[in-house]
Amino acid sequence: MRQCYECAQKEPASPCVECKDFIQQGPLRRVPSPPTRILLEDEQGKKYPADILALNTTEFGLETEAPVPGRYVIRLQESLWIEVAGVPLKGKNNVHVFDILCVHRRQGTARRLKNEEYQLLAGSTGQLVAEISRHLPEHLQDLVREKLLAELEKSELISAIRVGKVLKYEGGRFRCLSGRADLDLPMEEAEKLMRQATRHAEHRREVIISADGQKVFDFHGVPFDHRSGGLLAFDITEVIEKERKIHRQEMEVYREAISAVTGGRLHLVNSEEAKKLLSKGVEIAKGEARQAHDIPKARQVLRESLPGIFSHRQHAIALCLSEAQANVLKHAGGGCWQARQAGDLVRIIVQDRGSGIKTSELARATLMQHYSTKNSMGCGFTLMLYYADYLYLNTGPSGTTLALDFGNVRTDRLDLEKITERR
Amino acid sequence: MLKIEVDVDPGVRRVVLNGELAMETIAVLQEVVGKEGEHTLELDLSGVSFVDSTGLKGLLDINNDWQQKGGQLLILHPQPDVAEVMQLVGLDKLLTQNGALTGKKR
Repeated sequence: MRQCYECAQKEPASPCVECKDFIQQGPLRRVPSPPTRILLEDEQGKKYPADILALNTTEFGLETEAPVPGRYVIRLQESLWIEVAGVPLKGKNNVHVFDILCVHRRQGTARRLKNEEYQLLAGSTGQLVAEISRHLPEHLQDLVREKLLAELEKSELISAIRVGKVLKYEGGRFRCLSGRADLDLPMEEAEKLMRQATRHAEHRREVIISADGQKVFDFHGVPFDHRSGGLLAFDITEVIEKERKIHRQEMEVYREAISAVTGGRLHLVNSEEAKKLLSKGVEIAKGEARQAHDIPKARQVLRESLPGIFSHRQHAIALCLSEAQANVLKHAGGGCWQARQAGDLVRIIVQDRGSGIKTSELARATLMQHYSTKNSMGCGFTLMLYYADYLYLNTGPSGTTLALDFGNVRTDRLDLEKITERR
Repeated sequence: MLKIEVDVDPGVRRVVLNGELAMETIAVLQEVVGKEGEHTLELDLSGVSFVDSTGLKGLLDINNDWQQKGGQLLILHPQPDVAEVMQLVGLDKLLTQNGALTGKKR
């Protein structure tokens, strides 16, 4: 901290607003113009107005009546407040440096301001809000400002990952107001979102994957009038990647647990493994399940095409096929099936493009005897676990694949009492 | 396909089933036997080659409906494959508790 060259030389008649050396120089120092008005609150709750004359990420230069030395709190938003302490040696009259002691945020504390908090105080966000709302009827201005600040607060939450850009949209054109200029956004999608937001005069949000599939963006469109609005774009690629990683770990735990309790009979597989299941052996029958009457038809087709060496397992295979198809009808509205043979193995595969079984419901859906998310007896999976030798399940938001293996010679039957919970 | 033959004697309604007792046929059976009637409802399953979980659920519902009105359900002569499925889901226990399930051939 250097003392102001000007101030050190003479008593300034007015507060040293233009002062270049008032607080530490560097690319992060900002001199808001006009000064940003804030409130300092002392321990007794007494409030002093203050103007931010200059700031960087660790200190403020404030003009205020608040006594120095002293500790104060600056409340910016409900979940964002800053503890500061006035430094008597740095400054004169009513102008002093206030060190930032602690920045309190919803997700923790820090010793310095983050980029967008700093922007907010430096006036660039304030300018954005003011500029965007300037042409609006007065009664709308506060509402819009409030909305934008709420958006900024949300952005603050995920900025730990990466803040993107703030753009102004007007008549089909975008102008970058702040943020990472180097960030390439899918502008076509952005425009579509803004057109919708402005046309319907409501906040729109969309998660968009870049054309190359490498980036995931969270877009917020805030309309101001029928042709203009603000776009907040966040790069959430890393958040998504983290979520995926957690999901993968979760699936691994389920996979092991389910395999263990079913004596290695039921396997959760990933989509690549599921694809492999579809390529083994030769197809001996196939069909679709779109309505209830497709199920007995499938049983008939299967019985006719099943090689003689499996005749003693025909009932088991037909039952499992029916149960799997019934699940597909109930939960995904339909799907397709096939039967394949590889030597002394018959594999039944039933697939749908439904929304999948939620991880949290997976164990109950497959293991608990009378559990079902749809109203039925819910013992279909129990029957399949009993009659099939091996089961492979792949499930996700784009669909579910279930493969059931039947050997020519049956393996030891599973003790259902042990693995299922009877209600 | 499910063929349903009904024969009513005093106190007993005898229903002989032929075919498959499954998702697509159970509703018809439930409609035919209704929720109450004579004291005893006999379902002869000797001609039933296949039953799925929806069919089992239907049998359970019929049993509950008739019991509520003071009646009883007897399931007669299930084929071995069908008996095994019923046993698996515990339907046999439920029905034998009332002395209802009998594997004896007529």
